[in-house]
Amino acid sequence: MLMIRAIVRPEKKDEVLAELSSAGFHAATLVDVVGRGKQKGIRIGRMVYDEIPKSLILMAVEDRDKDSVIEIILKTAKTGEEGSFGDGKIFVMPVEDAYTISTGRKGL
Amino acid sequence: MKEIMAIVRMKKTGATKKALISAGVAGFTALKVMGRGRLVTEHETIEECKERLLAMGIDDVTDAEEVESEVVSFLDDSRFFPRRMFMILAYDEDVPRIIDAIAEANRTERGVGDGAIFVMPVADAIRIRTGEAGDAAIW
Repeated sequence: MLMIRAIVRPEKKDEVLAELSSAGFHAATLVDVVGRGKQKGIRIGRMVYDEIPKSLILMAVEDRDKDSVIEIILKTAKTGEEGSFGDGKIFVMPVEDAYTISTGRKGL
Repeated sequence: MKEIMAIVRMKKTGATKKALISAGVAGFTALKVMGRGRLVTEHETIEECKERLLAMGIDDVTDAEEVESEVVSFLDDSRFFPRRMFMILAYDEDVPRIIDAIAEANRTERGVGDGAIFVMPVADAIRIRTGEAGDAAIW
């Protein structure tokens, strides 16, 4: 089991989540975060904005679904043909166990 | 060393904190998140709650069908709701005890929407005050 952490543009999150839901990956957790990337934020004149608002999407998926989830996020979160700076990042982490509290069942 | 990530109802924050203390865990990080779970496919589980909400919602003015679809979207997990996310660092052998405590405190009779618990491995932890690393940094 894997935890997909995708940091995307806030204005793209609804599109990404709708696309994931229609592909059968409905469950998700959403966190509002701020951050900067390797461009060191945005510099306008003497002002530097390095706490840029992003949405963090957390999703636990089975190993076999990893590639399709990542592909959907890559496709929908990209802006423009080539993509642009600030479109976000995806991290994948191992999850050892998952429990659903209401049923008490183990696994996703 | 493990990280336990528990996503629970906002209302259960206090109960979860109490349960963690009685399980011997004092430290945690909590944040406000939005969450949704699996889509509810067996509609019997939300039937009772739905009846109750519909009884409140339908009157002569509102459109019954619209109200019903609205109520169902509230109950079948198709939209996001505020949830509290707890992140707890723990020794490997304490993990089952903590999970039981959280699950016990958060289970309701509603059948859906009580949250989820994930257990993830942690490579290292360092306490900033003393600089100690590894298992010594957890408590």
